[in-house]
Amino acid sequence: MRVLTKTSLYYLLVSVVVFLVGGTSFYWIMQREIYDEVDDQLFTDKENIIEFIRQHNRLPSVTSGISEAIIVKEARQVTPTLEELADTLIYSSYDEEYVYFRRLTFTTYQNGKPYEYTILKSLTDFEDLFESTMLAMGWIFLLLLIGLVLINYYINKTIWQPFYDILSKIKRYSLSKYTPLQLKPTSTKEFQELREVLLVMTDKIYRDYLNLKEFTENASHEIQTPLAIVNNKLELFMQAENLSPQQARMLEEMYTPLNRLGRLNKALILLTRIENQEFAEQENLPLHLLVEEQLEQLQEMINMHGIATITKALEPVYINVNRGLAEILISNLLVNAIRHNQAGGSIDLSLNGERLCIKNTGEARAASTEQYFTRFKSGSNVADSLGIGLALVKKICELYTLKPSYEYADGQHMLCINFRSNQA
Amino acid sequence: MKILVIEDEQDLKESIVTYLQQVGYLCESAENFREARDKIAFYEYACVLADLTLPGGNGLELVRMLKENNPDTGIIIISAKDALDDKITGLDLGADDYLTKPFHLSELNARLKSVIRRRNFQGMKVLEAGSIKIFPDAAEVTVEEKKLTLTKKEYDLLLYLISNKNRVITKYSIAEHLWGDHAESLDSLDFVYTHMKNLRRKLLDAGAEDYIQTVYGLGYKFSC
Repeated sequence: MRVLTKTSLYYLLVSVVVFLVGGTSFYWIMQREIYDEVDDQLFTDKENIIEFIRQHNRLPSVTSGISEAIIVKEARQVTPTLEELADTLIYSSYDEEYVYFRRLTFTTYQNGKPYEYTILKSLTDFEDLFESTMLAMGWIFLLLLIGLVLINYYINKTIWQPFYDILSKIKRYSLSKYTPLQLKPTSTKEFQELREVLLVMTDKIYRDYLNLKEFTENASHEIQTPLAIVNNKLELFMQAENLSPQQARMLEEMYTPLNRLGRLNKALILLTRIENQEFAEQENLPLHLLVEEQLEQLQEMINMHGIATITKALEPVYINVNRGLAEILISNLLVNAIRHNQAGGSIDLSLNGERLCIKNTGEARAASTEQYFTRFKSGSNVADSLGIGLALVKKICELYTLKPSYEYADGQHMLCINFRSNQA
Repeated sequence: MKILVIEDEQDLKESIVTYLQQVGYLCESAENFREARDKIAFYEYACVLADLTLPGGNGLELVRMLKENNPDTGIIIISAKDALDDKITGLDLGADDYLTKPFHLSELNARLKSVIRRRNFQGMKVLEAGSIKIFPDAAEVTVEEKKLTLTKKEYDLLLYLISNKNRVITKYSIAEHLWGDHAESLDSLDFVYTHMKNLRRKLLDAGAEDYIQTVYGLGYKFSC
């Protein structure tokens, strides 16, 4: 949820509470004021009547109006002097409804004769008051809402704009693209601070990244020459006429790991070069043909591993990639499927517009699925495996935003490359 | 036959020169761009092995100069950089081959032989080793004048062995020679063994001597 939506919701929540509480208390206060007022009037009337009787020694002539009525009747002697204030409902034939009245009943004496006075005052206004209060509140609330929307829109347009700008730029920021983060200065203090911090941070990260990259590149490249020297010297050494079997064995023992180191280094350099996007050239490649081609090249290996069946369901699929990388990708996948297979096992290839899947029989791997594509983590102890093949696969997939996935079920490994990266 | 080795790394240069001399080439060397440029200008070589990163200049420049002045000279680029661009530029400029460090000396030798063979139109149409004759143009092999049927890999293997005859060739260099980049992902050493066994049997069956020897655990040697 956006910050603005969130704050607006809180505003709204508080506004609703304020309006409810405010409206209710306003209503109650008004009602009490009106009661007080009406009661005051009733008592004033009463005082007036009593005063009139005392001065003139006769009953005042009284009239009844719409909102007011004074009723006099002779009270029986036994009735005690009373003064009673109450609410009452009177049916108004004009409005055709019951109307609230405030009633004051009291007894007064004229010439020792008791009279019971009832003064009625209409409270009709209350309902109107209630309605108009609610209406007013409603209108104010509506206006507030409109105001809120307008303010949000405005804030979104102006004040938060730098923030969204920064956000979208960070989202698109990629270390390997070599373009520094360019953020516009803003007048909002917080965003300006954010901008400065981000600039400093990305700058530092970028420099660290460059250093590290340079180091890795240099290391791999610098290793090449010494490797070549030792390699060649050993090869020269082997040409010696009078090598004893023991010396030959030692040479072999030196040569083997040296070769492994050489291959490993080559693979690491390749990884770095993919990371550096050195394979910029792309062409629209027929993937199905490429798979066939690689399969043919690996036929020897397939025979040797005694893989019994290979099933293919290859639809013509064309993707825009670098040819060399595509070959590496497919050959690594195939080699993986062959190497981690079993005698009499099978390989099942399927290719369609969605994805390329390679299924092969084989024992479950020790490594977890997440580790599956990580360098050097291949779980098997199959000899001569560098464990870097799938790391290359992953790296190439990253470059072209393809999504690799791996599953193990029913004694079969299934490795898929999804061509639409946004699909799960 | 004169070969020029242009390599700034002293040890590497020595190894290459030693190996090539042992194989029977006349070898000269240059350590930097200027020295190399002068040698190219004054002498003629059958083939030049050029490193690309040289003190004082780019090896590609040397390739360009060679192509202009001595178009008959074979050129093999040796580089620590496995950059595709360099490879393409180098080959476009007219280099005959491209080798990435680290490489096997036996591989370098085989490539050198192949370059010289391709450039030398007059002779060298037939390679002879004992009773074996190889006709590279037709990719044919005869033993005692009888045609021998070999698979592609067996033929390549035999050619490689004969190019490096009387030298110890390691299993790894054979694997890389036969399968290139695939060698590292294949269980190629087993394949080398299988192919070698088959080739040996075919040669023996055809009446050739057993030229191929196993050298302890190191590799093989074709001697005659």
